[in-house]
Amino acid sequence: MYSAADNRLDLIVDEPQILDRPCPSTRWEQFPYSSIAHHGEACCDVAREWVMSYDFAQLNGADAASGPRWLRQKWKWGPSPWPIHWCEAVERDTLDCGALGCMARELFAERGLQSFPAQFVQQYDEGATSQWFGKWDAEQVSTHWIDEDVIYHEACALVSGDGEVKLFDPSAGWWVNSRQAGGGYGGLLAVRLFDGDGRAWRWGRHTLRGDEWTKIAERP
Amino acid sequence: MKIYVSGLYSGGNPQPGVGIVRSLRQGYPNATLTGVEYSNRVSGIHWQDLDDLWIQRPWDELDLESYGAKVKALLDGGAYWISGSDLEAMWLADLFPDGHRNLLAPPMAAFKRIAKPGVEAHEGLPVAIPTHISTDVSDWDLHAFCRRHNWRVWLKGPYYDAARTPSWDVFEAARAALSKVWSTQKLFLQAHVGGYEESVMLSAYRGELLGAVSMRKRDITPEGKTWAGDVCDVPGDFLDPLRRIVRDLNWTGGGELEMVRDPKGQLWLLEWNPRFPAWVHGATIAGTNLPARLVQEASGILARPERADSEEFTRVVLEVPVRADYPLPPLPEPFAGAIGHSMKHPSGLPALAEQLHKNGRAMMDGEDEAADSGGAPAAVPESFLADLAGVDFEQVQTPEFLFFEKTAEGLFRQASERAHRISTNETQVVNAYSIKTNPDPRLIALARKHGFLAEGISLAEIQAALAVGFRTDECILNGPGKWWPRDMLPDGPLHAVFCDSIADLERTVEAMAAGDLAAHHVGVRIRTPNVTSRFGIPLDSPKTFRKLIDGVKRLPQDSKFGIHFHMASSHIGVAQWWHLFESILKWCRSIETLSGRSIEILDMGGGWFPDDWHDGEEGDFARAVDTVRALLPNVRQIVSEPGKAMAQPSMALAMRVLEIQQHEEDHVEAVVDASIAELPMHFFYPHRMLRRCGETGAWQPLRRGKTHLMGRLCMEHDVVAANVQLPEGTRAGDLIIFCDAGGYDRSMSYVFGRG
Repeated sequence: MYSAADNRLDLIVDEPQILDRPCPSTRWEQFPYSSIAHHGEACCDVAREWVMSYDFAQLNGADAASGPRWLRQKWKWGPSPWPIHWCEAVERDTLDCGALGCMARELFAERGLQSFPAQFVQQYDEGATSQWFGKWDAEQVSTHWIDEDVIYHEACALVSGDGEVKLFDPSAGWWVNSRQAGGGYGGLLAVRLFDGDGRAWRWGRHTLRGDEWTKIAERP
Repeated sequence: MKIYVSGLYSGGNPQPGVGIVRSLRQGYPNATLTGVEYSNRVSGIHWQDLDDLWIQRPWDELDLESYGAKVKALLDGGAYWISGSDLEAMWLADLFPDGHRNLLAPPMAAFKRIAKPGVEAHEGLPVAIPTHISTDVSDWDLHAFCRRHNWRVWLKGPYYDAARTPSWDVFEAARAALSKVWSTQKLFLQAHVGGYEESVMLSAYRGELLGAVSMRKRDITPEGKTWAGDVCDVPGDFLDPLRRIVRDLNWTGGGELEMVRDPKGQLWLLEWNPRFPAWVHGATIAGTNLPARLVQEASGILARPERADSEEFTRVVLEVPVRADYPLPPLPEPFAGAIGHSMKHPSGLPALAEQLHKNGRAMMDGEDEAADSGGAPAAVPESFLADLAGVDFEQVQTPEFLFFEKTAEGLFRQASERAHRISTNETQVVNAYSIKTNPDPRLIALARKHGFLAEGISLAEIQAALAVGFRTDECILNGPGKWWPRDMLPDGPLHAVFCDSIADLERTVEAMAAGDLAAHHVGVRIRTPNVTSRFGIPLDSPKTFRKLIDGVKRLPQDSKFGIHFHMASSHIGVAQWWHLFESILKWCRSIETLSGRSIEILDMGGGWFPDDWHDGEEGDFARAVDTVRALLPNVRQIVSEPGKAMAQPSMALAMRVLEIQQHEEDHVEAVVDASIAELPMHFFYPHRMLRRCGETGAWQPLRRGKTHLMGRLCMEHDVVAANVQLPEGTRAGDLIIFCDAGGYDRSMSYVFGRG
């Protein structure tokens, strides 16, 4: 993943599994969230305006807190090169979770809602991760988000009440289940949201502290 | 201990019987569990946990009195009964008005307080009830409800069944089908609530809550039924009032509150079911065995301890052996020439509903009185009657359209006055009359008299406006075929031209540059995403959006720039139209910012249903002007197109009854001399109808009923109204007036069957 702010790409650390730390892989412990870049010209102005206006049209009169499911309809989840600009992103058929997470965040902000970047570590198995590795590698884009049977993923945390958040995964088009009982295939192992001031946020029965990784479930 | 469990249907929309049996078996491994069913086609009878079966004849064959006596004997003998079917539970509540200690089902008084759609008993729970309306009211009012709720509405039966009715013709078909299935006219329309579905299941005995769990659907069938879910405790702010309500209702048995949680977190209560839900065993898997708790409380015999295997459950499809003593019945052959087997639902509940209606059981009392009387007729405006009073019907050659001059004059004046009131010093609001809605010169003249602009979709329509006295600079040209016929382009400059496509935009730019076309305003019609339309420049891809921006930049600088959008509010609903309006303003702001061209004219149509336009909140329109000014400060003129709202009430169709045909079971067909050729919009919306009394000459509004008004054409689908009640004494030669026929009924009517 790429961060325009930090101009960082592919932070890969070779490390053993560290089970007791909230983030199950050290390679993502300090990893920044992704942002779509802007050329500062009309090309990106038009693209970004289109995304914002398109979102409002897609709301269809529903509540502003509804998840922007149309993102997943418009773009397949898949490899995308980094850095990426707005004018490039809108033309692609596939976008990765970093780009989709960034778009969701911008859309919630445009709707007047507060949201934060959210990073996940999710459990899968090596069958799944080897498939993804092959696909991303073939497109010659970074595979640093895959670490054996766990993956790094980006989403969006929407403030839904006083001290409360909901987690929207735009790559899947769903709200992440806060009642999830444990890890396992597709299960969420750790979350970090970036609120900038380290506040405690309620997410179902969990408490997520801003800017820190929170362990959600043990790796089975 | 012997426990009877009914409701064993296990298809795609299953009953809870099998789940109850599985839970009881877990709590009471040695109990004798007997399955009760009314059809040997119900697959749940073969479930392995059942020790015995008590198969009854189908409900339409059953003698309820003798069957009731047998059930009573079982209960008196010490057996317990858990009903898995709402209607059976209602019948049992009626059978035992004072309850029975072994009948584990709610009392009749509780049924009345959980009746849909109001669910009176919900008071105190942190839930809201979705907006609803009984189908007792007139079709005119039902149509208004659908529009108000953006056609996102459900027609629901009194016990089960719901049909999404996104348009009037679908509503009419669904109403006919549900009324037939459930033997009642008493249905209701409910506004859709979007969100995630969740339920609370409870178990209680004689008013004491024995337990409750919350379940969120995590996977659903195509019908929206639970396929998987997660289970957790009910939060205190729900559980405490629930406990009080259960005590107040003196509830016994299982129950389920079906709800939707909207994006803001508000819970909406859709139904309170008087039985355990089909996912009951999912909760047992999660450690709360509510059927066993119920039996334990009733019997005093301790159930096996509960055990949580998982907080989540899911379903799978299983094949099980068929019991040798209940071989599968044959599958009926499809009807000759038909597709599918056309079988009745094996639960047989519609048959029980019919039985209960025929027997006039207590729980159905009064249910159909209002509905069977045809409901209230729609109110007919005084101005209609005043216009009718001026018609010499001796001279009317039916079928004939009648011009309602007083009505039309009033509508145009009202619209004009409102435009004037909501105009400001900075922004003028002006109406435009859409000629296509009805090109009658009398209506075009009224539009001109009241300061409307004329909006045409062809040069022929513009010429029609000019013929009545409009100037070219009072005309707006619009639509994909606006340049037809080519030789009719007037000489003077038009007020505005709106391009319907990128190609049209390029052609217009060229024509203006060449001096072939002059207009004070030139702009584009845009089509927002998520709206089904063939008109305007689509905005559903960044590429087209970019082309639009480039095109707008090329427009001549000496004409003012504008945007037009049009969507029929009667189709998409009023609230949805206002959302679309806001959406358009956002697009406009983007276009203005990116192209550098100020938007000076905004043309907003239309297709308003007359009541929504004329009786709509003036505040909504005034706020819209404020919003435009805030987002697009350069707009100087807002053109408001009411569309058919002006024309539709301004004409009616007079027709005469040709023949009345009496058929079986009160079914009447009245043939009239009008037809779908004069009423092509008959299935889009209801029309208010009047019959002139032969004796007194008084106008009698028609209620809803079982008479079909058949058109004069030899066309199978020429039925101009399928559900009216002709007043007593109606005979051949009587005059019937179809009001609200002055819009597209008039302008799209065609000559057919007249020789």
